[in-house]
Amino acid sequence: MNEITLTEEQRDCLQELINVAMGQASDKLARYLQTFVHLQVPYIELIDSEVLPERFAETYAQEGVSLVSQGFYGEKGILGESLLIYKSHDAHGIAEILGYEPDDVSEVEQLTDISSILTTTFLNGLAEQIDNQLAYSAPRVVSSMETPLEHHLQQLSFNWDLALKVDISYQVVDFSFNCDMVLLIPGEAIKNIQKVLDQILDEF
Amino acid sequence: MDVAAVQSLLIERINSGVLVVDEECRLVYFNRFMESHSLLSASEVIGKNLFDIFPDAPKRWLQRKIQSVFMLNTPAFSSWEQRQFVFKMRHARPVTTSSEYMAQNITFIPICDKGTTEPDKVGIIVDDVTDVFFYQEKLKDTLTELEHVSRTDGLTKVSNRRYWEERFRVEFSTAQRHDHALSLIMFDLDKFKLINDQYGHQAGDLVLVEAANLVENLLRKGDLLGRYGGEEFGIILPNTNAQGAAELAERIRRQFSLLKMQYEKHTISATMSVGICECDSRFTRFEDMVTRADLALYQSKREGRNQVTIYQA
Repeated sequence: MNEITLTEEQRDCLQELINVAMGQASDKLARYLQTFVHLQVPYIELIDSEVLPERFAETYAQEGVSLVSQGFYGEKGILGESLLIYKSHDAHGIAEILGYEPDDVSEVEQLTDISSILTTTFLNGLAEQIDNQLAYSAPRVVSSMETPLEHHLQQLSFNWDLALKVDISYQVVDFSFNCDMVLLIPGEAIKNIQKVLDQILDEF
Repeated sequence: MDVAAVQSLLIERINSGVLVVDEECRLVYFNRFMESHSLLSASEVIGKNLFDIFPDAPKRWLQRKIQSVFMLNTPAFSSWEQRQFVFKMRHARPVTTSSEYMAQNITFIPICDKGTTEPDKVGIIVDDVTDVFFYQEKLKDTLTELEHVSRTDGLTKVSNRRYWEERFRVEFSTAQRHDHALSLIMFDLDKFKLINDQYGHQAGDLVLVEAANLVENLLRKGDLLGRYGGEEFGIILPNTNAQGAAELAERIRRQFSLLKMQYEKHTISATMSVGICECDSRFTRFEDMVTRADLALYQSKREGRNQVTIYQA
């Protein structure tokens, strides 16, 4: 399984597609949320399922974090999961960003709502770049402040060895809100996305 | 029948609600599932505003949700776990479930006209998840019940030792950290074996239950009574010094000694010996208090039973 590697061309191509999708997403989000959403340059890597929990634990060790997951699947065997990670102090301004009445919406619903918006807006843009159509599962809170992330990650078992991982940070400066998005495209789906990338590279 | 006809028949008859609204939130489509559960007919709702048809719907939130689908051209979701229902409707299990309204998972889908990339309608799919809701509630009740059982002594219904010690550990570290007072009362029924031998074990059980009830009724909020084992009980008293504990202990001891317990044709009286220990900053574990309260309790026994002793270092 571990013979999958991303060539430099493939990585550059993916990076470029993601940059375009991020630009589009940022634009759309600014219109809908009426505030500027800054997306930070993505970090792309292939990651072993064995080191993933460790990596998460390292990155979010000290803080209570909430994790929201949303699955996506499209044509040509493209599928994966988007994880949105919020540090505790970020969870408050969301209702305001979304333009909800205070008290209208529970904290968990604020999290799932904003997660779904960030995930689907970005991924729809990416799908458009690769001439694909994505569908999504409903967002679900995987772990919240009360159940620590490490605790949850220890219980995970993966049915894949390797995943393509894309990290993107979101910042809403006006509301000093930020969160991290981690896209995971596991196992066979990596090969499928490589085919798509190769096709795009060939057309150049 | 051609495929399009089959599709529209399926959408009309599918066991989920399907609605379509335009940019002004006017209803364009309302399938049969929606008709039968909302008790409204498609002919009377088509062309009307969604919020006029469902005045109980959370307007501001739902408007923003639908707006996001139009503006971002992405789907949106609502889950019963966060919001039990959006459209107040009956469900299809009025007999076997307890909830009054249909629990709903909802998907909002952008609909673009052929050849365009900007949606001009939003499709709303309403899944009835009342069953899931119902089982989840049952599970929650069961877990609550289980939690209660796991921390309760079966006979006397006061906290069992495991839970009592768990709480004691917390109270002990809180008291030490904030330098708050904390006292422990340990009491043991006097000559309990004689009661068992004389009247039988059921009589002994009755005495334990009566003692636990009497004590429970004399406690203040925040005090915790637990069965430590056999005929020995402990009471955790947060924010209480030795003197406060002694006053309470004396009241308990006296009232219990006056209690007449009826078992079959026998009237039984019993007494208890009590030991008290106040928390000291030199203690490192809650067990340090248990040991010392026990020493005081034994002193009460040695000096003739039916009395209260405060541990003196």
